[in-house]
Formats: sequence, C-alpha cells, structure tokens
Amino acid sequence: MDDLERLYKTHYAAVVRFLYRKIWDADRAEDLAQEVFIRAMAHRPEKPRAWIFAVAANLARDEARAAIRRKKHLTLLKDDPIPLSTPEPSAEDSVEREERWARVTGALAALTERDRDVLLLWDAGLSYPEIAAQTGLAVGAVGTTLARARKRLIEAHDRLDYQARTAHS
Amino acid sequence: MTDWTIKQERHIPEDELHAYLDQALSRSQCAEIETHLSACKLCQGRRSAVAALRDRTTALLSGLTPRPVIVPPSFQDLRERQSRRLALAVWRARLQRSGLWAAGVVAAVSAGWVARTVLDPHRTTVSAPLVAQSTATPAPAPVTVTPVADSVSTAAIEQTATPAPLPQRSLVVATHNVSSGRSFRALIPAPTLQLASAVTPITRTVSEGGAAPLARPAGNDPFDRVWRVVPWEDALQIAGSELPFIEGIPVVGVMFQPGALGERPTVIVAQQDQNGEVIQSIEGPVARVNELRMRQSSDVHASDVARTAPDYVDGPGGMHRALRVLTVIGRLPVDSLNALARMATIR
Repeated sequence: MDDLERLYKTHYAAVVRFLYRKIWDADRAEDLAQEVFIRAMAHRPEKPRAWIFAVAANLARDEARAAIRRKKHLTLLKDDPIPLSTPEPSAEDSVEREERWARVTGALAALTERDRDVLLLWDAGLSYPEIAAQTGLAVGAVGTTLARARKRLIEAHDRLDYQARTAHS
Repeated sequence: MTDWTIKQERHIPEDELHAYLDQALSRSQCAEIETHLSACKLCQGRRSAVAALRDRTTALLSGLTPRPVIVPPSFQDLRERQSRRLALAVWRARLQRSGLWAAGVVAAVSAGWVARTVLDPHRTTVSAPLVAQSTATPAPAPVTVTPVADSVSTAAIEQTATPAPLPQRSLVVATHNVSSGRSFRALIPAPTLQLASAVTPITRTVSEGGAAPLARPAGNDPFDRVWRVVPWEDALQIAGSELPFIEGIPVVGVMFQPGALGERPTVIVAQQDQNGEVIQSIEGPVARVNELRMRQSSDVHASDVARTAPDYVDGPGGMHRALRVLTVIGRLPVDSLNALARMATIR
C-alpha cells in the first residue's frame, strides 16, 4: 500500500465531508472527491494532504460557480436553506432533524468566506501550517481566525435556535 | 510569544488558548501556557470556555455529513480510471498529431492545385453559370481565361475567351459575381479527400476461425469517417481496461470512434460465434450507443443497455458525469442478446 492509497483510505471521508459542506450535494461531493484523488495519482504531490484539500477547495469553487451560472441556488446562500441531500431522517424526528440541519447550515452561512474556509479545513484535520498555506494567512493568524469563526458559528447557531423557538412558541 | 508568563497580570490570549487546545503550538509554548494555567484561575476558566466552544463547534459540524458512513470506493477502481484517462490522453495526442498531419497534406494539395490553376491558364475552365460544377458535367460553353485582376468584367473575359474545348479536369473554377466586379474566386471542391485518420491502414486485426470482416455501423453518419479499425493489442492500449467483449467468442475486429472533449471513445467489438453470426458489443456515451442501436437494420436486434463506468467531462458549466452504456447487437433474438450482454466483460 503506497502513501497515496493510505491517504485515500484515511482521508476520503474527510474530503467528501469538506466538499459536501461547500456544495451541499452528496453525490457530487463523492464524485469530486474521487476526482481529487485521481488527480493526486497523476501529480504525486509532495505534501499530499494539503494538496488534496487545496484541489478539493478549487473544485468546490468551480462547482459553486457553475451552479450559480446554471441559476441553481446553493442552499448555503439562502435565508431558508433546503437541503439538496441530507442524511435520511427517521420518521418521528425528521422535522427536528431538518430544523437542526438548517440551523447549522444557516450558522455556517453567516460566517465570512475566510472564516468558513479555515473552520472547515480545521475540521477536515488540517494543521495550522497547512491551513495557512492554503488560505494565504500567516500561521499565527490561523488561531485568531479559528477562534473568531468558532465563536461566530456558535453565536449564529444560538441566534437561529432562539428565533426558531420563538416562532414555535 | 508573549511575555505573559513573566507579568502575571497579563493573561493568555484567547487565540493562543485555541491554538493550545488544537495542539498547534510548540512544546516550549505549551509548557509556558501550562505553567501559567496552573497558577491562574481566570485563564483556567477561559480555557474551559474555549474547550467547550471548540467541542460544540465540532459537534455542530459533525451533523453536516452527507451520510452517516462514507465508504471509499476501491482504490483499484480509481487507479483504473486514472490509467484510462492517461491512455485516452495519449490516444488523443496521437489523433491530434495525425489530424494536423492530414490538415497539412490537405493544405499542401490544395495549394498545389491552386498554383497549377494560376500558373497554367489552359488548365482553368470558367463555367458560364456562376456556380461550381461537378467534374462529370463540364460547363456547356467552357472558356479559357488568363487569371485577371479582381476588377475584371464579364465582357473582358468574353473578349479573351477562346472557344476551344478542354479535356475534362478534376478541378473546376467558377466565378462569383464577375459582372458585379467582386473578387474572382476559385472554388475547389475536394470530394475525394479524406482525413488521414479515416484511412488508417489495418495492420492486423485479430481474426480467429476465418471470421468475416467487421461491418461498420450503417447509416450516413458524418462521424463514420473517423471510425478506426484497430488491432486487438492497440485497442487494449487505447481503451485501457474498457474493452467490452463476450468471453469465449473469437474477436474479429475492434472499432473506435473518438468521443467529444473529455469523453472516452465509443468502442465496437465484433465477435463471431460458431454459427457465423457476428455479434457486436457497443460501449460508449449513452446518446451515441442509442443512436447506433436505432440505426441498425430491422433484422438486427439489440440487447437492453447496461451502465458502464461514466465519463467525467469538463464542460463549460463545470465538470459533470456523462453516462456510458453497453449493448450487444446482432441477428439473434433479443433474449439471446440480453443473455450475451450479461456475459459481456469490460476488459
């Protein structure tokens, strides 16, 4: 088993999740993740982990642009997000799950693009230097950005949660 | 690093606490922070708050997953796709080279014809009607002219015309709006020219048991000319691991037709069974395969289509997945063809 195959087995799911959180289409996320690793086979990058997430981010960006060109609305950009592809909910708590999902995507949408990128890359398992290399931030600024992004995500989520509770009551 | 360890009134900044909990600091930085934390209740509280924030963020993001369990497809599949892509790139490059070469030949031949026409006035015929004529039907009253300037008038041509009959030529030059004084242009029909790629000689096709030659798809398809018949070994090289065929039946020929940009080629593998029946397995983009199925004569039947590995095409609207299918056609009942299609192997 070579390094790339090992990386594929350990990071495929993370790349799919990373792409999914950017394009909100499960099938497309898997297609693009496979495309990322196929390209990695051809390029044999020196730092494969950072490289695959950089390519994934580029593919996701291209995908988003294409989607906008096709006049498709990304749920992330909407006030009232409707998931294109969400985990199958069970019958009894499907509504609650949908709402929870919408709150988190809404909170993520409330972040700036840079904060969101840093947060998603960190959640995908990248180190601070890798995040810095990909986003163009200084390594020292990654912690600051991450601290801000986490705080804003939680604040936005709590705000949406409060609004939902108020609406229900 | 800040000097908050020296001045006790200076506490650990929040971003450093995040970095500390994310294990993004050096060992010495961690040691400094831990020393401070052991003595500072305020920073201990802050660390707990940051840890809770961090854990909540992780928990929220963990809900944003396309499915509970993401299973990667076999790495071998990915390798095969990559090798197919490489093979296709090599094949395209070859095709492009041969296309350029063919274009060069066409240009050279055309230039030669034009030069001969210009330099030898007796070889140029001007037909009376202002349209290009075929060589088989020469103009009723051909006249010979010396090529003249753009501003030449019909009257001037008539004055220099000699009504001597000329031998039939394969090139006919017609004038466009000579009377109106517009440019005197030569139309050079080239009905017999073919792309070099269309006439690639068959070096050796696999032929077992005295098989019949491979029949090209019927129809008046403009793409027919770029179908290529190739030997089995070359076919394997071109198609990588995507050559459809039925095990146990001799292969009598393989044909390729290049796909659109980013698509793998359409492949037809012809095999001949013991009764002499030729069965063709067609694998390619779904529209192309359907088109080929529709164009068969009424006594040729086709199996149901089965999906094969799709193409990933970079189009103007971004990358998309283009479906590919496999079908088996032949002069056999549909049930038999369906059974054969189930036996078909993608090699």
